[in-house]
Amino acid sequence: MLAFIARRLAISSLVLLAATFIMFVLVALSGDPLGDLREQSTPQAQAQMAARIKALRLDVPIPVRYFGWLGDLFRGDLGVDKSGHAVSSQLALATTATMQLVIVATLLGAFIGITIGVVSALRQYSSFDHGITFAAFVCFSLPVFWVATMLKQYLAIEFNDWLRDPVIPLWVIGLVAVFAGLVWASIYKGRWKGKLTTFGIGFAVTAVVLYALSASHWFADPGLGFPFVLVVSLAAAAGASALIAGWENLQPMYAALASAGVGALLYYPLQQVLSDANLLSILGLALLTIVVSWALGHTLGGLLRRQAIPLAVFSGLLTGGLIFVDRILQAWHSYTVSVRNRPIATIGSETPNYSGDFWHVSLDSAMHLLLPTLALILIGLAGHSRYSRASMLEVMNQDYVRTARAKGLPERTVIVKHAFRNGMIPITTIVALDFAGVFSGAVVTEHVFGWRGLGAMFTKSLREVDPTPVMGCFLVAGAAIVIWNMIADIAYAYLDPRIRLS
Amino acid sequence: MSYARRTGRFLAAATGAAILLTACGTGEEKPAAKDSGSASSAPAADATVIHAHEQEPNSYNGFTAEEYSSQNHIVFNTRVLQDVWGYSTDGGVARNTEVATYEKVSDDPLTVKYTFNPKAVWSDGADLGCADVMLTWATGSGKFTDFSYISTEQWGLVELPDCKVGDKEITLKYKSPFVDWEALDVVTMPAHIVAEQGGLTVEEMVDAIKGGDKAKLKKAAEFYNKGWLFNGKLPDKKLMPASGPFIIDSYSPGQSITLARNEKYWGEPAKSAKVTIRFIPQDEQVQALQNGETNIIEPQSNPDIVAQLEGLNGVTVKTGDQFLYDHLDFNFNKGPFKDANLRKAFALCVPRQQIVDNLIKPQNPEAKTLDTRNVVGFQSQYADTVAFAGGDKWGTVDIEGAKKLLTDAGKSKLKVRIGYNQPNPRRTQVVELIKASCDQAGFDIVDTGSEKFFADGGDLANGNFDVALFGWAGSALNSGWTSTYHTVEKCTPSGKGNNKGCYSNKELDKVLEQILGETDPAKTIELVKQVEKTLWDDLATIPLYTQPALTAWSETVQNVVPNASQASVTWNMHEWSMQ
Repeated sequence: MLAFIARRLAISSLVLLAATFIMFVLVALSGDPLGDLREQSTPQAQAQMAARIKALRLDVPIPVRYFGWLGDLFRGDLGVDKSGHAVSSQLALATTATMQLVIVATLLGAFIGITIGVVSALRQYSSFDHGITFAAFVCFSLPVFWVATMLKQYLAIEFNDWLRDPVIPLWVIGLVAVFAGLVWASIYKGRWKGKLTTFGIGFAVTAVVLYALSASHWFADPGLGFPFVLVVSLAAAAGASALIAGWENLQPMYAALASAGVGALLYYPLQQVLSDANLLSILGLALLTIVVSWALGHTLGGLLRRQAIPLAVFSGLLTGGLIFVDRILQAWHSYTVSVRNRPIATIGSETPNYSGDFWHVSLDSAMHLLLPTLALILIGLAGHSRYSRASMLEVMNQDYVRTARAKGLPERTVIVKHAFRNGMIPITTIVALDFAGVFSGAVVTEHVFGWRGLGAMFTKSLREVDPTPVMGCFLVAGAAIVIWNMIADIAYAYLDPRIRLS
Repeated sequence: MSYARRTGRFLAAATGAAILLTACGTGEEKPAAKDSGSASSAPAADATVIHAHEQEPNSYNGFTAEEYSSQNHIVFNTRVLQDVWGYSTDGGVARNTEVATYEKVSDDPLTVKYTFNPKAVWSDGADLGCADVMLTWATGSGKFTDFSYISTEQWGLVELPDCKVGDKEITLKYKSPFVDWEALDVVTMPAHIVAEQGGLTVEEMVDAIKGGDKAKLKKAAEFYNKGWLFNGKLPDKKLMPASGPFIIDSYSPGQSITLARNEKYWGEPAKSAKVTIRFIPQDEQVQALQNGETNIIEPQSNPDIVAQLEGLNGVTVKTGDQFLYDHLDFNFNKGPFKDANLRKAFALCVPRQQIVDNLIKPQNPEAKTLDTRNVVGFQSQYADTVAFAGGDKWGTVDIEGAKKLLTDAGKSKLKVRIGYNQPNPRRTQVVELIKASCDQAGFDIVDTGSEKFFADGGDLANGNFDVALFGWAGSALNSGWTSTYHTVEKCTPSGKGNNKGCYSNKELDKVLEQILGETDPAKTIELVKQVEKTLWDDLATIPLYTQPALTAWSETVQNVVPNASQASVTWNMHEWSMQ
């Protein structure tokens, strides 16, 4: 294992070194670094040109410039850009911005995409499958700058306008309810009578909920409330245990329900603690939740501890998450007032000079992350759902799945234990590479939403034919790809015993 | 009942029940913590005026050759670092009497006396006056080469000022007269900070400057060049005192910079307590304005953006001219246009009015053809100058006249290569319009636009064009443009400077030299009139149009006044206020 890692790193760094040379030369040749100044007629242009020639060392050949840069790099100095600013500080800021922007989107995109893919594989050739395939390809083919402009127009500008009097018109409720009913009915597998019932339930529930939200002006001052937290966390705990452990094994379910229940019952006591929270105390609470849930899982899990503990931890964290969301929504009303009644942002990563308590600042970040995250998820959804669907289908047609069915295992066991686990192996590569991609930034999304991340830094410097910052971005992206590729390979060997690293 | 279906039923029922319960739950009282907790800790909506600009500033010192750029100037060099003058709305010189008054006390040698406001201080309380002028002289005169300074053209003419630290009256003597003496940058950066960072007292620094002691100023120069760079965060705020109504308040890299009212400012205080400049890409500014995330935008104009802005409610849109104009330059060095009659024939067929109607009016309904080169339509002397120079005669197309001139010269299907920098859709269309018109008169117009037009060894430098189409940044100042029409020593890529077509007129050279040394603005205007007349008579260049400017702001902001000069709309940010 260690030999493998050492060998991989050695080879990769040589490849990376060669790539930096090619990259440097390409960037230096990509245009005229003095172009903008040549077009200027101002008397200052000459002095500006002289300064830039000196800063970019345009008077020496490109390879000499490259080795100058490389020498600095080995001394731990990433160099300066053409106006004398340290690349390392720019890179630190850009990496932080990109991580904030892309990590949540990548995680959510992968989770949602895989879920949809697996469900549509299990319902192959159903109307749900066809609908998802259609939607996936539509999203796949949308240009992100266009999606972004539409999101800004409808989800930000017009939604903010609508928030002044948040009443949903009846026809919209009807339309959405019909759509929701159709989606549920299309997932249901069975006779038309069952489908009709599912449609009816889906329709009615959606309509009632939307009507209630509209009538109570929920959007003006939203929140979840204790009953919601209690019911949803218990239902999720039960659902997850039913899926993973099955009905026939009740200990894991008890553990999960206990963990969710304890969490939800702490709703009121927690409010005081949360009112002056900070990031550290939230992380502390999360850690505490994990420890308590683990203990619950350990105690109640009995012989099925290995299933009970993760289930309990999951339920505990989910409940905690719901309480967190509930608390953050309590800040909504005062937040909206403080941002001139326009909570959803179209640009930037923060409201300038915004200062409030932890919840307001978090809500401010969330409101700025909302649209870019949605755009990235929509675009990335297609890939994940298609890959996981294909992989899942392939596994479902394997002999050992047929064997598992033949020996009378329940369908849940066949799918979750035999098919799903193996189906996910190829997906690890894709998710790992996705994470490597995070470090090259999301060029278009960053530009459209005004985030100064790695992608924005890369394109700006490339446009200005300024190699040093480009090389900084390149090193980060290159190193990320090398490392995540390695992680993918190691994970592969771990997940699939047929693969050996040596 | 199969296992899967049972699970499905259960899940559906559970979800349904959960949602229903929750729907009932939302009507209930919210937890008590809500009232006690957050309501008071949220910041109130404030009255900060927000302006959007694409690039973010990266240095407090925008006077070095490296950092001389609009991204620094529009934030700091309007109302944070004030000088004795600024650009007025028509781009001219507006004296800032809050800082100092000044007058010309002698013509020979040109001598200007500056009297600083006795109350004028930097925002940290340090005296503003002699020491600061001495610093500017040190950086700008070219005597201390360790300091990077953008141009020594003007300060290089000024003799070492003779003043003591603390003096509020400073007299500057020129070695030779200079036309733009009113627009001299007198107070640039705070001298006491440079001295302190250079390990000197202010007196020591002034003495070193007087004594020409470069070694002693080395450390100070190092700080001057690099010490004010942002590098991902602001330098220590103590290093950045202001001389205007605003000081730097806070900076969020990649996002915004906020200026706050300078409480130490001795003059008219800023109306708004804070002004924020957010860094927003140009094409995203309209939606940000619509969503209230910025209040003022100044994007590059194009027909779509104008239409989009005009569709918005509660937004004021102002289009107009700016000091940027496009023109056609003839090649006097080689090719057909050494012949004055052929230049005339070409000028007769260029559809200048049509170019403005088709390409500029959609963005600026008031647009007219630009009939002079060095005076722009919104300047008061424009009409006079046009009438004197006869620029208005070239507004209409005369195909027959052009045809006759060409036939007389014995030319038909005369090939004319028009070069310009690509991609530039507007200029491509200009060439198309010229081709449509001039081909009728017997020219054969060839579009030789290229991406390398401006490059080293490109068409413009090497003279591979018959007509060059490009833009000049104009100005109400006169020292910048005279060399453009002055006979060049050698018509080589490096020798011809801004006179790309190597135009030459010995008579005109004298007038141009006279302008550089003329210190009386009224006389300068007369001389410029003569220059314009000669340029039209010789048909040295054909001016076409000024590029349209666009400013839009939300109606809740008061006192937004666009500015045609490079100072941008931020020139009067101290007067902005939220309703």
